[in-house]
Amino acid sequence: MRTPSGLAGAAIVALMLVLAVVGPPIWGDRAELIDPVAALQGVSAAHPLGTDNLGRDILARVLVAARLSLLLAALATAIGAAIGVVLGTLPSVLPRRLGRLVSSTVSALVAFPGLLLAMFTAVVAGLGARGAVLGIGVALAPAFARLTQTLAASIAGSDFVAAARMLGVSKATIVRRHVLPNIAEPLILNLTVMIGASLVGLAGMSFLGLGVQAPGYDWGRLLFDGFARIYVNPMVALGPAFMVVLAGLGFNLMGEALAKSATRSTVPKGAAPAAPAPEAGEADPEAVLEVRNLTVTFPGGVTPVREVSLTVGPGEIVGLVGESGSGKSLTAYAVGGLVPYPGVVGGGPVLLDGQDVHALPATERRKLLGTSLAMVFQDPMASLNPALKVGGQLAEVATVHQGATRAEAWQRAVDRLGHVRISEPARRARQHPHQLSGGMRQRAVIAMGLMGVPRLIIADEPTTGLDVTVQREILRLLREVTEESAAATLFISHDMAVVGSLCDRVVVMYAGRVVEELPADRLVSGAAHPYTRALVASVPDMSADRSLPLASIPGRQPGPAEVGEGCAFAERCALSTDRCTATRPPLEEHGKAHRVACWEAS
Amino acid sequence: MIIKGLTVRFGAFTAVDDVTLEVPEGRIVGLVGESGSGKSTLARAVSGLVPYTGEIVDGDGVQMVFQDPYASLNPRMTVGASVAEGLRRPTPADVERLLGLVSLPPQLASRYPRELSGGMRQRVAIARALGASPRLLVADEITSALDVSVQGAVLNLVRGLRAELGLSMLFISHNLAVVRYVADEIAVMREGRVVEHGPTRQVVETPAHPYTRDLLAAVPRLPAP
Repeated sequence: MRTPSGLAGAAIVALMLVLAVVGPPIWGDRAELIDPVAALQGVSAAHPLGTDNLGRDILARVLVAARLSLLLAALATAIGAAIGVVLGTLPSVLPRRLGRLVSSTVSALVAFPGLLLAMFTAVVAGLGARGAVLGIGVALAPAFARLTQTLAASIAGSDFVAAARMLGVSKATIVRRHVLPNIAEPLILNLTVMIGASLVGLAGMSFLGLGVQAPGYDWGRLLFDGFARIYVNPMVALGPAFMVVLAGLGFNLMGEALAKSATRSTVPKGAAPAAPAPEAGEADPEAVLEVRNLTVTFPGGVTPVREVSLTVGPGEIVGLVGESGSGKSLTAYAVGGLVPYPGVVGGGPVLLDGQDVHALPATERRKLLGTSLAMVFQDPMASLNPALKVGGQLAEVATVHQGATRAEAWQRAVDRLGHVRISEPARRARQHPHQLSGGMRQRAVIAMGLMGVPRLIIADEPTTGLDVTVQREILRLLREVTEESAAATLFISHDMAVVGSLCDRVVVMYAGRVVEELPADRLVSGAAHPYTRALVASVPDMSADRSLPLASIPGRQPGPAEVGEGCAFAERCALSTDRCTATRPPLEEHGKAHRVACWEAS
Repeated sequence: MIIKGLTVRFGAFTAVDDVTLEVPEGRIVGLVGESGSGKSTLARAVSGLVPYTGEIVDGDGVQMVFQDPYASLNPRMTVGASVAEGLRRPTPADVERLLGLVSLPPQLASRYPRELSGGMRQRVAIARALGASPRLLVADEITSALDVSVQGAVLNLVRGLRAELGLSMLFISHNLAVVRYVADEIAVMREGRVVEHGPTRQVVETPAHPYTRDLLAAVPRLPAP
């Protein structure tokens, strides 16, 4: 609502409402005052919009007419909305065949010209304000019914409606209890726009002589009266026309601004805190990826990633684990320069092969990441365009970033598809993504990363949607690809068993910070942080004792805005002491290749 | 409940192909298989949500708990109203009893789903299903959308309910380790058919079908200390 157009719309609507309330009492007498001497005058100081054939002041009449015009528009909208909601929800309540009949009738009516429908109804219902209001109401109904039906259908397909059906709740109750409350908001927003439409529609009806009849008058009627003189005294017609346009515009602008603000969640405003100064420390010359003190902040002081440092060597796979909201995905995205707006990456540096990625100019950074970063997401369709052939999408990498010709690029794409063990790569390259199985698509995405020479591979839950048998193959492929290209791989997962079986090292994150970093083979027996231990114990594996209850972690992880001074895990930790809640434990060496942030670590 | 020769077709595609399966009183039958194997479609057929051919003996009184607890509760209804949906004449005492069954405090009844965590929502969905006193509870991947830290608690709850109420259950998951932990029997589905069915121990330790052996071998395991 804070946009200029939204504010303008709200101001116009407010003005119209005030006019409707105060107009008739203030200017009512003047609007009715008959003065034959002043009949049919043009613009003058006494009559800024001129006078009509009985010498009545047109400006006063325009201001007074606001009440009737708005009232009729509101009535017509109410009629349209009522018919629309009933027609729109009937298909969900009626037996299937009748429901279909109703919805195809609505479809036919939507295709029928609205003004024709309005005129037809008005003629049948009788000339005058009542006929016009009914006509416009009926003309608005089909579109509103269609909107209601579409919204209702999306709710009717939801799990909670399925649950209600299974519980034996009747169709009518489902509509009343589940469907209507969940579609009310967009419908009500749409009403505002509809009032604008019916205002214009009613003015049109009155202008055609089908609406308000003398001695009553609304804007449309005034326009009708003034139109005959438009070549002599244009203002007598333009005055009422201006009001129709202004009111219609106001309601439309406000409706659209309301609808926009309802769909977009607001971003809290406020200055992002300054990033902490990078800590001095010698870079590891062996490391492919080195991240120091990485911080991601969002406006309003929300910091989902706090001072994360990571090192990944050539051919090494490092697992990033933690609950959702721990900042593990965002950490990886920050490394790859993919933090969504309005997030800000601070701290650093992020060194890829010794080059500070974030210090590079935008074009060079894009080129560096375009050829040396490979991303594998949970949903391979997020990386593949469903409308393009698989081979073409791979080839694009080579033509854009490596300047290859189209034939060379296609050759390489086929070669890479074969390399990730997709059978008949030449045929598969000519297929579209939907013709490939889930596992094959994920292979194609990995092959896309192999079009260049990947230095960094970021895999975000790449096997979560896949079956165990396919998962095993994808994990094997990731391991091979990492080793042969000597790339650094960041593997993000919530599945401890997958991480434990694939990775060399594991980095455990909690509430935006690294709480433990240890070799993967020490996860089961050597984890020192109580959170890591609890995570491992809460996952059933194939050797879990079925007679014992599983471990679970009570409470919940604090949100990125709720992190306090002490250890973020203290509240859920059985070992926590006063010291834990007061001061945050630093991440410290804990034996070979093992770091932990816990005062009570054993 | 006994499922006999159940088949579900979507056009020319056969999602569930002549499945015969028994869920005995008070037992949890785990259903595993890859995505597209037809296990969720079988669950929906058993719950009366998709049309099928074949026969289901004792098929009334089925309730289902869904995978995504963020989509299975009406955001405009309080927890109490959702839980009361399956009751004939709901009283606050009934709602409190149902919330108690899933270890939730009675004060939660006046809250809305958006104020609850994923694990709590899934408990509410279970409480709602229990309100209808089901003879069979179908659980379709109920832990796969949850964080690991609360998965264990929900699985413990499922086992507790079986012990406490003698509930029969069809427990569907693609995660063999989860199914092994909660189920008394395991049925393995592939391409719409049940290829193996037996007591959990037998299926896990001495799998008869090569596909079951393949599945078991592919389960990721934490490196042994």
